[in-house]
Amino acid sequence: MSEPKLTKDRRLPGFLRDTHIVTIIGLMVLVCIIMMILSPSDFFSGKNLVSMIFQFPEYGILAFGMMACMIAGGIDLSLVGIMNLSGVLAALILKNMVQMDGTTVLNPGMVLPALILAIVVAIVVGAACGAFNGFIIGYFGLPAMLVTLCGLQLYTGLAYGITGGPAINGMCDAFKNIANGTIPGTGIPIVLLIFIVVLAAVVFIMKCTVFGHEIYFLGSNAKAAMYSGINTLKVTIMTYMFSGILGGISGILITSHLNSAKSSNGSTYTLLTLLIVVLGGIHPDGGKGRVLGVTLAVLLLQMIANGFSLMHVSQNAKTFANGCLLIAALVLSVVLEKRAEKKAAAAS
Amino acid sequence: MTTQNQKLKMALTSTPMILIYVIAVFCIVVSIRQPAFLSPATAINIGRAGIFTMCFAICEMVVIISGGIDVSFPAVGCVAMYVPLYLNYHGMLPDNVFAFFGLAMFIGLIFGILNGILVSYLKLPPLIATLATSSIASGGLILALGTREFTTLPPSLEALYRVNLVTYTDAATGFTYPLTILFLVPVALCVVMALVMHFTMLGRGLYAIGGDANAARIAGFNVRLLQFFAYIFCGVAAGATAMIYTTLMHSSTTTALMGDEMIIIAACVVGGCRLTGGHGNVGGTILGVLLITLVQTNLNMLGIPTSWQTFAVGLVLLLGAILTSIQAKRQTKLGKI
Amino acid sequence: MSEEIFLKLEGIKKSFGGVHALKGVDLEIRKGEVHCLAGENGCGKSTLIKAISGVHEPDEGSIWIDGEKVEKMKPMDAINRGIQVIYQDFAVFPNLTVAENIALNGELKNKAKLVNWKEIHETAAKAMEQVGAHIDPDVKLERLSVANKQMVAIGRAIVNDAKLLILDEPTTALTAREVEKLWAIVRNLKEKGIAIMIVNHKLDEIYRIADRLTILRNGAYVSSGPISEYDQARFTRDMTGKDISGEKYNAAASEEEILRVEHLTRSGAFEDVSFTLRKGDVLGLTGLLGSGRGEIGEALFGIAPAESGRVVLNGKEITIKSVADAMANDIGYVPEDRLTQGLFMQRSIQDNTIASSIRRYMKGARLDEQGMEDATKHWIKEIGIVAPSPKPAVRTLSGGNAQKVVIAKWLNTDPKLFILDGPTVGVDIGAKSEIHGILHNLAQQGIGIIVISDDLPELVQNCNKIVVMRDGKVAAEVDNSIDEISLSNLLIGANEEEVESK
Repeated sequence: MSEPKLTKDRRLPGFLRDTHIVTIIGLMVLVCIIMMILSPSDFFSGKNLVSMIFQFPEYGILAFGMMACMIAGGIDLSLVGIMNLSGVLAALILKNMVQMDGTTVLNPGMVLPALILAIVVAIVVGAACGAFNGFIIGYFGLPAMLVTLCGLQLYTGLAYGITGGPAINGMCDAFKNIANGTIPGTGIPIVLLIFIVVLAAVVFIMKCTVFGHEIYFLGSNAKAAMYSGINTLKVTIMTYMFSGILGGISGILITSHLNSAKSSNGSTYTLLTLLIVVLGGIHPDGGKGRVLGVTLAVLLLQMIANGFSLMHVSQNAKTFANGCLLIAALVLSVVLEKRAEKKAAAAS
Repeated sequence: MTTQNQKLKMALTSTPMILIYVIAVFCIVVSIRQPAFLSPATAINIGRAGIFTMCFAICEMVVIISGGIDVSFPAVGCVAMYVPLYLNYHGMLPDNVFAFFGLAMFIGLIFGILNGILVSYLKLPPLIATLATSSIASGGLILALGTREFTTLPPSLEALYRVNLVTYTDAATGFTYPLTILFLVPVALCVVMALVMHFTMLGRGLYAIGGDANAARIAGFNVRLLQFFAYIFCGVAAGATAMIYTTLMHSSTTTALMGDEMIIIAACVVGGCRLTGGHGNVGGTILGVLLITLVQTNLNMLGIPTSWQTFAVGLVLLLGAILTSIQAKRQTKLGKI
Repeated sequence: MSEEIFLKLEGIKKSFGGVHALKGVDLEIRKGEVHCLAGENGCGKSTLIKAISGVHEPDEGSIWIDGEKVEKMKPMDAINRGIQVIYQDFAVFPNLTVAENIALNGELKNKAKLVNWKEIHETAAKAMEQVGAHIDPDVKLERLSVANKQMVAIGRAIVNDAKLLILDEPTTALTAREVEKLWAIVRNLKEKGIAIMIVNHKLDEIYRIADRLTILRNGAYVSSGPISEYDQARFTRDMTGKDISGEKYNAAASEEEILRVEHLTRSGAFEDVSFTLRKGDVLGLTGLLGSGRGEIGEALFGIAPAESGRVVLNGKEITIKSVADAMANDIGYVPEDRLTQGLFMQRSIQDNTIASSIRRYMKGARLDEQGMEDATKHWIKEIGIVAPSPKPAVRTLSGGNAQKVVIAKWLNTDPKLFILDGPTVGVDIGAKSEIHGILHNLAQQGIGIIVISDDLPELVQNCNKIVVMRDGKVAAEVDNSIDEISLSNLLIGANEEEVESK
């Protein structure tokens, strides 16, 4: 313990002491500078900013689910499966309750109840899938990686079995508007609002509730959590359920965004969400990380993706770049950890 | 003290035995519904369908035993099957079976080295590291060479395709069921790897580092080198397997194998590999592959539509995983000796 | 025992980042002797072992092995010269068989490429015969008990031509019978001319097995000599640098009963255990490993609940079937292993302090951050945790401070009964007496304190009542007028004859 070091640290606000967050902010500035040189008029146009807002919430929300599980010392690879299963069920409800003729709705009175039912079902199914993952992990003591891989297969399989393969298309406009519309009269995208509400809820849960703290405890040391009187099975189930609910919300957004539901949508999102959380400073061993870091990482990746599409670079270049970035982020965190360890060893 | 009786009971309820029971029950149920199931044709079909699954499963098994996981082999396989045919199409690679397989294995080697560096030198979590490799491989491939589909094989591979080991002709229908010579590849791979894993210090070293990497270091094993070997072996063998896939399926695309990692991992886990490392063997993996292949190819015979295949594989994986957990708990209940 | 010296260290110094772990240590180990290395926690024992086994190269000083000066020794060199260390975790492979665990290292040393299973079985059989253990060579290690794993580790060392066998705290996880068996093996190996160095700090065990003794304190050499030159007083003085204090804890007489345990039973762990704890009592619960001492603590805290029996706390009969039940009845528990069971090392002192009482900081829908910080500051001051603020991670704290954080975690739940398993294991002397002071204070405030420990001097000095467990049953209940040797005899159930023959 060295007292002077601590007083020196106090000069900076908390989040600026986090190397990951500083790195992300630095990278965001870098992307801005590069884009300013390459195509300033496009990147900083209002139209471009709005188009960015329409894209990130669906995977941003998934990333929060991944974040919660990783902080709890696990991983959730089934998120994309949960997302598609929820999306497929929501789409089915809408297709069956709202009768359509082309793009006109024949029974407008049913639109609102159908919409509410679809959203509720999507979230409930997400929660149920997540709780199932959590139960298997906690009760049987199996590795989260294995169980959620299995969950991915199961939920994707369910979605595929239900649809029989082809996508469900052509939902009513009211549903399409969730992810594609703006709040009337303001031009603010509805998804932005949803993302902010979800973000606020996630921040609140992780920082201000007992459950949030218990997630960190579980991830730091599951045995000590048990010996501290924390019901680890319950917390595990709740964490994956939380993740599943976020998967369900994402399911609604992506289905609405694409106006189509099938079992293989968003297949690149598993990698993307892992990249986001690792870049955002969530430690793969659990117990460490901040919502702020993940949020910034979501925005950074959206900026990069947007930069790529403005430069007319293909989706595959993005995949390639994301892979490289993931390795770079991991290497960075390993290097930072080693440095911190050395510092700690020298200080003690 | 374990009595003879107890030992017998343990042997009869061990994981491989349970797998054999499940496979037997599955076969009996299917053959009751579809008597045609019980014919050499079925065996040949399953043998054919299981060729790549078996090869990939052996690759994955070696990595899992060493305490890691590799989810990059489908993407690596795609690169390995696509690049040689692409180069050949553009006249940059001679039409020679050895050239095709050699290049495919070389490509696998490159990505194996990449995985090895990430996992054994940089100590990154294997799942995330190989996921990154996977996206680098598949993104980079399409970025560099674009998407095409090669559906006609170069003559040398076509010739290889036509070599059959046995051909069974159904007397009633007149259909012929050829079994390709390439079936020998998984057979040879299984035999060789069974010997390597059991009778060489290399194999025992892989088990040792999977069991306790720290103890292995103290004992004097070169942990890094062994981990490196696992990923390189996986890459090289996956490259060769991908070329077999192209030969048999008459197809080489940039995404043909994507998504296959699930089924392969399922086969390994069902066959007794523990994702925590150090456990599993060739025999169990063969049984796991057999079960998964049976489920995949014969689900419709049980009256279940093929669209539920993904779900069924997931279910088999889930039950397999739970079985390992129950077996482990049972063993702790037996008490320490 | 010959007079020939196998290993000689002279003036070994080693520092890490400015911290002097070893400040000039001398050590002499003769062929065929059992040499005990003793010292309090943090005295440099483990660094010294690492210097001997070639893991750390000393900054200064010289090492002679078999009369030959050795420079720049690597772990492989040490092994080749016959030095084998058996660490506390044994460094065995849980997924491999007994035979393989024994023989694999040898194959590796011979740079074998292929595995000769016949030879492996022969080697294993030879090793088992030399050790005198009978373990099925085809069983996987994960199925073995700790004692048998240790046998395998010793067997492995023997077949690798060990000339000096270093056992690091070999008895911590063994039952009384297993310890006796271990000592029999050690004597047997000694007769074969193998030197054995045992790291231990329990005097009663040292008396039973060691020929000579070396004591370290704070990384420095203190004294060395035949075991006969050490009596209890000198041993304690050399270990701690202080004389034994005569002061013992005595409770103010009170008839008010806090806890009564009647006929508590859990099959396979303990049977028919009864005791009472009055206001002001610090109750010691002792016994060897496997005697059921720790299991009673776990039962009262609901981790492994008792199957039958009554527990009456402050006049009310309670049932404890889970940790939640125990906590609802205001029972606190400091587990045996601080690092893996007690603490969240990466998290702050504050997070650790409020971990068990977090629910009481719910203010409306959210947690009261300020309230948690204030509580932590209160305990930092109250029980003297040395920390600049509630924010540093617990891993930056010393063992004693970290243990105080575990104690603070439970004090913050206002326990009525506080159970501590090994409260001062791995804690330096200063913090040790501070922790004892805290416990005495708590007892006087009317909180029931149970200290589970096998540290006999600690018990005699700090408890006014000691329950001795043997084979799952209460063997005796004594007060603190007992001396350590008689207490030690009670523990192992030794009759007079056996004691005299030693």
